[in-house]
Amino acid sequence: MSVIILFEYNTYYKAAVTKFTQNALADLRRQNFFSTAKKGENFELKADLNSEYKERRKDTVKRVIANMTIGKDVSGLFADVVKNMQTDDIELKKLVYLYLINYAKSQPELVILAVNTFVKDTDDPNPLIRALAIRTMGCLRVEEITNYLCEPLRKCLRDDNPYVRKTAAICVAKLYDLNPQLTVDNGFVSTLQEMISDSNPVVVANAVAALSEINDSSSQKGLFNINNNILAKLLAALNESTEWGQICILTTLADYVPVDEKEAETIVERVIPRLQHANASVVLSAVKVFMVYMNNNYITSEKTIQTIVKKMTPPLVTLVSDHSEIQYVALRNINLILQKRNDILNQEIRVFFCKYNDPPYVKLEKLEVMIQLCNEKNIDQVLSEFKEYCNEVDVDFVRRSVRAIGRCAIKLESAAERCVNVLLELISSHINYVLQEAIVVMKDIFRKYPHSYEGVIVNLCKNLESLDEPEAKASLIWIIGEYAEKIDNANELLEFFLENFKEESSMVQLQLITAIVKLFLKKPSQAQDSVQKILQTATQSCDNPDIRDRAYIYWRLLSTNPQATKAVVLAEKPPIESRTKIVSDSLLDELISNIGTLASVYYKPASLFGGRTGDTKIFSTPAEDADADIEGVPGTTIGGVENLLDLDFDDSAPPKSATPPSSAAPKSGMNDLLDLLNDDVPSMGNTMGLSQPTTPSTNVQNDLMNILGSSSNNNSMSSSSILSPQNSGLGGLGGLNMNMMSTPQPQPQKTIMLPANEGKGMEISAVFVKRQNKFFMELTFSNKTAQPLSEIAIQFNKNTYGLVPLAPIGINVIPPNGSKDFTLPLGTNGPVQQMNPPTLLQIAVKNNLGVYYFQHILPTSLFETQSSTPSMPNFSFNNNSSNNNSNNNSGLDGLLI
Amino acid sequence: MGQMFSSLLSRLWGSKEVRILILGLDGAGKTTILYRLQIGEVVTTIPTIGFNVETVNYKNIKFQVWDLGGQTSIRPYWRCYYTNTDAIIYVVDSVDKDRIATSKEELLAMLDEEELKDAALLVFANKQDMEGAMSVMDVSNALGLSLLKERTWTIFKCSAVTGEGLTEGMDWLVNTIEGKK
Repeated sequence: MSVIILFEYNTYYKAAVTKFTQNALADLRRQNFFSTAKKGENFELKADLNSEYKERRKDTVKRVIANMTIGKDVSGLFADVVKNMQTDDIELKKLVYLYLINYAKSQPELVILAVNTFVKDTDDPNPLIRALAIRTMGCLRVEEITNYLCEPLRKCLRDDNPYVRKTAAICVAKLYDLNPQLTVDNGFVSTLQEMISDSNPVVVANAVAALSEINDSSSQKGLFNINNNILAKLLAALNESTEWGQICILTTLADYVPVDEKEAETIVERVIPRLQHANASVVLSAVKVFMVYMNNNYITSEKTIQTIVKKMTPPLVTLVSDHSEIQYVALRNINLILQKRNDILNQEIRVFFCKYNDPPYVKLEKLEVMIQLCNEKNIDQVLSEFKEYCNEVDVDFVRRSVRAIGRCAIKLESAAERCVNVLLELISSHINYVLQEAIVVMKDIFRKYPHSYEGVIVNLCKNLESLDEPEAKASLIWIIGEYAEKIDNANELLEFFLENFKEESSMVQLQLITAIVKLFLKKPSQAQDSVQKILQTATQSCDNPDIRDRAYIYWRLLSTNPQATKAVVLAEKPPIESRTKIVSDSLLDELISNIGTLASVYYKPASLFGGRTGDTKIFSTPAEDADADIEGVPGTTIGGVENLLDLDFDDSAPPKSATPPSSAAPKSGMNDLLDLLNDDVPSMGNTMGLSQPTTPSTNVQNDLMNILGSSSNNNSMSSSSILSPQNSGLGGLGGLNMNMMSTPQPQPQKTIMLPANEGKGMEISAVFVKRQNKFFMELTFSNKTAQPLSEIAIQFNKNTYGLVPLAPIGINVIPPNGSKDFTLPLGTNGPVQQMNPPTLLQIAVKNNLGVYYFQHILPTSLFETQSSTPSMPNFSFNNNSSNNNSNNNSGLDGLLI
Repeated sequence: MGQMFSSLLSRLWGSKEVRILILGLDGAGKTTILYRLQIGEVVTTIPTIGFNVETVNYKNIKFQVWDLGGQTSIRPYWRCYYTNTDAIIYVVDSVDKDRIATSKEELLAMLDEEELKDAALLVFANKQDMEGAMSVMDVSNALGLSLLKERTWTIFKCSAVTGEGLTEGMDWLVNTIEGKK
């Protein structure tokens, strides 16, 4: 019995011990699991990348790449992946190269480990590997290895194999982007210039592409000069190049300024066959060459121009029968071309008639082209088309068609009556939106041809009650006011609108005030009451200041001098012109030189797309100068330099004389800036930026103005905002100014607290501020990675002031290359620990990629008790400078330790 | 079945590689030694920015030999290559008396690494063909090799240019590695 008990006791004891040990082990394991973050998939991958077995290493690299493509961060395996780079297995090599391109930027210092392999690979007997190596090296874009890139690049530029050479040519442009000086010093640019004479057309095309890119991005112009010899090579390579090569060469030719007309004609002759190419972009590039040459008067001979126009027509027509997307691009470009030359395609208007199954965007563009192309001969045909379109179901398209009729009427005086008749037919159709649109159009016709078609007013007024759109109402009211003396019951008609005056939109209200005042001036007896009533209502119970102001002006005018009022209100109106111009002339010139690019589709300056600035011209140099240029001797920048100062290309023959760069330098800085801003408004730049004797402060103003003016292209608007007092010192940035005013404290600058390379691509800039005795941390998170960042959280270590975040970071996801702002409220009731220095704050930030620690010295000024809020800053300039001073005084703000 | 078995066998013995690191200061002659071992010729080399890796067959053993650049900027990254290393060949420029102390520091720092605990160490006192080269004993003393504990090590004089001493060193390596198995 006792034995049994003892046995049981033993078992029990053993079991307890085992259980205890198991628990302890489990604990230990759990602890281990938490303490080493290394374990996990990446840890396994790392081990497998160092495997003794070739096959396993290869499979692992594939797994790493797979992880990379789905957005998992495998940058930590960099060194281990690079170990597999030196291999005979081309598939494995390509995979490692792919990995390198993706992660080189996040591990710049480790990229050095790959250099030797690159160098060896550029010596490989296989040209594919040589090219692959040099291409990958160019794609890494890491400062640390640019120096090591030079030797292999030099070798590849002189390679026997054209495939390697053409790859190396592009690599030069990439290197130039990273380090221009190094590229020039190593003579790569001059090598590229020599490569234009290469025997292989693909190499020539790539050399041209690289050179023009370098020329565009370079501040030092004249890196790419074309002489007779080079021109001949380009023209010879044109036929044999690939599509991309042809586009490159054609673009270069479009930028080139021929020495004389004979040369221009030779170029045109060689380019004309390109119009037959199957690729739409090649065709458009060829068209660009012709348009630029005709536009800049490089070609003046009527006969040549006729030939060009004749040759250009069929390919453009062909483009319009392509896929609808290509049609759209073609139509946008054709529209531009027609702005310059409406003699092209005028026989072909039928091509642009809308088909019922055209997508809406194509239809609308076709309408534009039809308006451009309509003339006395084809107007009847066009009008019947437009009338047809008004029966379509797409409301927007119908409206545009009605407008198109009006625009034809305004464009062609002889056809105006026919247009009006069509409009009247449409009005009688009683389709509401057609009717309303027709009334708007009629208003324009009345503006253009006053007193011509007064007979139709009756018809218009019949439909008074069915109008519900503000624009249509406003138009009809304007018509009634304008022809009040001819309309017997004008007062009744206007009173109809007057009933609901307060509910109308401001557009209608404004028109109504004006119309009633007109009526009063023309027929004082009829409108005595109405005018009193409307002015009273407008001045007393309207919230809109524009309406009140207009009413006040009329009221005061009427009460002081009715005669003067007549002179003002019933004055002769300036005639309107047909609005066939889609862009300003200067922008048009720029767009013409960018035909076939995004710029010419969006009608926006190319610089907006990060592309060519449009003012790059390639000037020819006499052959004897070419040697000097190829050597890249500084100071022999022929041509191109004046380019910076010269806004007007039209009247200047290609400048040959060199401006000494030293004299150009001090000016060019500012003018360059102005040029840049004034791309499409040169006249404004001249009057405001250059000829005015300006003080430095107004200079800044002008520049700001130009920034604003360049897009709006509206001189009067921008100059008026210069004059307006509340904006002084800040140009048109009124909105910003308002913001500055509304915050009582100066806005301190954010400093970068966590640089992107330390935060695995997440950059944090932040500033601590105090408002109404509460502390805030204003943060900007920027995502410099290619994947979305999420799960962002922040924590502070114990600190002297007990600062603690009061809310979680309210940002869900930061998209790749995006940034998000967040204002974090802070409390001072957190755990306190004396820090040294006392203003030291240690911060931890977490996201889905990891945890990052950094510290920040808080500005002492943050904790000084302020007796009163500082006086409201007047201008942002003062504001900024005082703010900077205070930062400097504290001397600690933004200092990273 | 048999095929599967043989592929398993080949996986176990056939293609397993013995991993060897060649380390040393820049200009010690690491790359020259590597290619002398691999192709038996003296090649002109440029400073290795990064690494070279070659497979060397010696006495029916497949060595995967890693030659790492010796520049100051690359030395910190030697550690990336320590995993699974069976042996280290440490190359010393016997003529460069000025930097022998630096060479010792790098050697000791490297041997301290946990991952290299079991790796055999073969030191080559290179450039013996040149005037004023230190003797093997001098190099050994300067590196403090005799003080190494729990390490299989040896030192050979050699010249990568003439090929002298390399075979002896490799024979030692083969014996040591086979003995370990």
